[in-house]
Amino acid sequence: MAEARDEGSAVSEPLDLVRLLLDEVVCVKLRGDRELKGRLHAYDSHCNLVLGDVEETIYVVDEEDDEETVSKKSEMLFVRGDSVVLISPHARTF
Amino acid sequence: MSFFGFDTTGPGRHNPAAAGFSQAHNPFAGLSNREDEGDALEFEETYDGLGDQLEETGDAFNDDTFGDTAGLDSAPVGKDFDFFGSTAKVANAFEEEHVRFARQQPAVKAAPPAPQPGPSHVMLQHSAFQSTSYGYAPQPTAHKPVRTGYEKYSNEPVAELQVDAALWGVAPKKPPQPSPAAAPAAQPVPAAASRKVLSLEEVEAQMRAQAKKAAQHATPSPAPQPQAPPPMHYDQAYEYQQHAQAHLPQQADHLRHDQAFAPGHAQQHVTILQRPHANQVPSPQPPTQPSGHRQQPSGSMQPTKILQNPNRLSGDAARIGVRQHPTPTMPAAHPAHPVHRQQNSFSRQPQIITHPSQLAQLSEEEKAAYLEQEAKRAKRNHKIFLMSRDNGIMTPQDKSFVTRIQLQQLVSATGNPNEHGTDESLAEDFYYQVHSQIQGSQRQHPNQPLNNFAQTYLFQTGSRQGGMRRHHRGPENHVQRMEQQVQRAVEAAKNKPKNKQLVIEGSLGKISFSNAKTPKPLLNIKRAENTSEANRPGSAHKHVHHGGDRKSELRSIERIYSTLMQMEDHDRNMPPPPSNDADNEAIQKFVTWNSEAQLLNNKLWESLRVHDHQDNGHVHPFIALMSYTKGMKAMQRITRHLTHEQRTTILTLIVVNLDSLEVVRNAQVTPDATQLNAAMRENVELFSVAVMSTLFTILNELDLDLVAGVLGLVCTRNVDVIGKSRIGASMLTMILSRAEIIKHGGGGSEQAWRAWDMTHTQFFDLIEPTLPHMFPGPVTAGDDIYVWQLLAALGIGASPDQQQRLVLAVKDRVMDTVALSKTLPADMAAQRLQNVNLFMRSIGLDVELLQ
Repeated sequence: MAEARDEGSAVSEPLDLVRLLLDEVVCVKLRGDRELKGRLHAYDSHCNLVLGDVEETIYVVDEEDDEETVSKKSEMLFVRGDSVVLISPHARTF
Repeated sequence: MSFFGFDTTGPGRHNPAAAGFSQAHNPFAGLSNREDEGDALEFEETYDGLGDQLEETGDAFNDDTFGDTAGLDSAPVGKDFDFFGSTAKVANAFEEEHVRFARQQPAVKAAPPAPQPGPSHVMLQHSAFQSTSYGYAPQPTAHKPVRTGYEKYSNEPVAELQVDAALWGVAPKKPPQPSPAAAPAAQPVPAAASRKVLSLEEVEAQMRAQAKKAAQHATPSPAPQPQAPPPMHYDQAYEYQQHAQAHLPQQADHLRHDQAFAPGHAQQHVTILQRPHANQVPSPQPPTQPSGHRQQPSGSMQPTKILQNPNRLSGDAARIGVRQHPTPTMPAAHPAHPVHRQQNSFSRQPQIITHPSQLAQLSEEEKAAYLEQEAKRAKRNHKIFLMSRDNGIMTPQDKSFVTRIQLQQLVSATGNPNEHGTDESLAEDFYYQVHSQIQGSQRQHPNQPLNNFAQTYLFQTGSRQGGMRRHHRGPENHVQRMEQQVQRAVEAAKNKPKNKQLVIEGSLGKISFSNAKTPKPLLNIKRAENTSEANRPGSAHKHVHHGGDRKSELRSIERIYSTLMQMEDHDRNMPPPPSNDADNEAIQKFVTWNSEAQLLNNKLWESLRVHDHQDNGHVHPFIALMSYTKGMKAMQRITRHLTHEQRTTILTLIVVNLDSLEVVRNAQVTPDATQLNAAMRENVELFSVAVMSTLFTILNELDLDLVAGVLGLVCTRNVDVIGKSRIGASMLTMILSRAEIIKHGGGGSEQAWRAWDMTHTQFFDLIEPTLPHMFPGPVTAGDDIYVWQLLAALGIGASPDQQQRLVLAVKDRVMDTVALSKTLPADMAAQRLQNVNLFMRSIGLDVELLQ
């Protein structure tokens, strides 16, 4: 009973789930074959994100079908919401 | 014979009661009204065509009508008549005469013969004036802007000079004053009472009147003229001035006219009508003049109008051109049209002294004063010109828009003094407010003085200006206006999103608006209000969460943060404590605030899930929260809002679950060199910074019996696990040193000390086996200071027997460290030895003894 009410109060819109990921490590899939892994510091209704200690992975496909990935690291990253495809909690690293 | 066939012999030719004649109203009121009509001067409307009815050939008796001016022909007449001044002197006499006459001749009032044509001619004349003055607005001084709207200022010196009739009294040809009885004939000037603030037109009119009066004084009026119409005289004055200055040859003629016509209005109109014509006809032969007048009075008007309008329409360029025209300083100039125009405007100048010859008549002092005035005026006009260059770049809307932005920023930066402590002040500046509050800020409740900025810009302004009494209202109003404006803006913003949904008729759905603050709801799920939750603290015990339920833990943390923010917000709104018992309202406020604070506290306490039951095989929910970084970070903020009892409960709970803490359980030291992973190291670091410091504060509030209780609780747990973690070891050190501090402070009862000694002995027995294994990694790893601290804390409180056991337990590590220090650089070696010495000294030894 109470449990159900708690569920209702905590999740009334999808972004409430994102809120639970605040200060947690998340995986973010972006348009343009990119993925980010980092700590979610902030988000807003447009899915603009601020991530800390980010590792960005870019998947590049050559003409010869050779797949390779490019990896970048950033201390802090602002992600504009319109490129966000997916936000998922990352498996705990400890 | 009269010119118009009027009876010119009787003194009371027109009705004294007729409006505009017997009334001493401002004759130029109509003139200024005229100005409002703007560009289109309808001559056809203002001109009644009387001029066309003139008998062009019937001028045989003009001399009879106008009187014999032969006697005056030779009399030189100056051009600086003091019409106005002299007339004003006898104004009272004029009024008396008027009253007397009206009483004596009541019968004549019934006959209303002459005046009718008068007004219309006056109108005609005025419109002519108007148009000319538009075309050639005052220009004698080159730097004077054309109708800048500042004429009022430039007229100031004129007004002074005009009042000074003596100035004009020095005119060389001034005739003797007429007798009071005769004077009224020349009384065009309304009573002084009707002279209000002088407009440009009024000033001009007075000048003309002055000139005219002088002329009339030169010509003794034949009969008293009590009902002399004021407007006529201005026109006449204009006539005289004009002719006196530009048509010297005609002077005699006009004086003769004056002699004859001054009494009669009709005659005066003739004079008026002839003006434009005279302007155009450069042959100033006295005998032909009257006929010339009569020939085409209306026709003469038309060219003037035509000539004037282009000037007017061409605007500034034309004016500048005219301004640069040589000023008409030559009195004997031919009355050619341009010159005449120039003189028209000249004679209409508000300045009396625009003419060099006039200037010459002034004393040195007056001249200096005049020049000074002139220079001042020039300076001011230049300034106005400079400032007016940017005029019109911004529209009033632009200005108010910019002002609004500035006001909003100002107020949001300072906080509206009326709204301090409300949400608005926080919305823009949340982080500063929270920061300043956490830092023990200067403004924790609304009654504290505003910050410097607000004082300076909102209050000081008013009070500082208030010192200057005259300007007191200005800034005050400004601040008020600003507040009102901002309030209005805020209200408007509040009201705007009220209508959140738009239902279009016939459509199946609703259109909902959204903005940045309230995004469009994507799922329409009813949100259950949290408020009901706070009202059931008792039910908290029923909350049974699975310890491993990560989502519910995260949710709890979010709820904690929400509640924390509410509480911090609530703290900011704390009302001042009631100053006395009588202030019921304040007490009520305070009570309400307190009860709300209590509700929020309950909510927070519940969110912490301290009293939740622990599931078998799962860690306590609260301890689980402590495994999240955000959970740890919240600790400091949480404890600020908890009671002492609640804080102690939390400490107890953590101690009871010390071996369940993630940072203890999953951060066990190992004898080999394996390091904890980076994330766990970070967590340990964060826990010691965020939680341990909080716990340390809590622990320092506790008495000895409670400290003993805490240590007893530790004994019930897995001391081995606790001791082999950095956090656990630090916690133990904290507890032991607290007891030591109490002992040094002389606190604690005998009984409590006995209990403590018992617990300590028990604890020592428990931890002894772990002692050799507490060190992180091999001796080379370093970073073992916390272990030595714990050993020191143990050693201080240990009995000689326990000290012996301690030494035995960690002897190897001590010896290894001492040996290692010999191979290390001096400073590092000293560091390591110092760490060891912490322990050695606590048991009365020193590393030096071992070397």
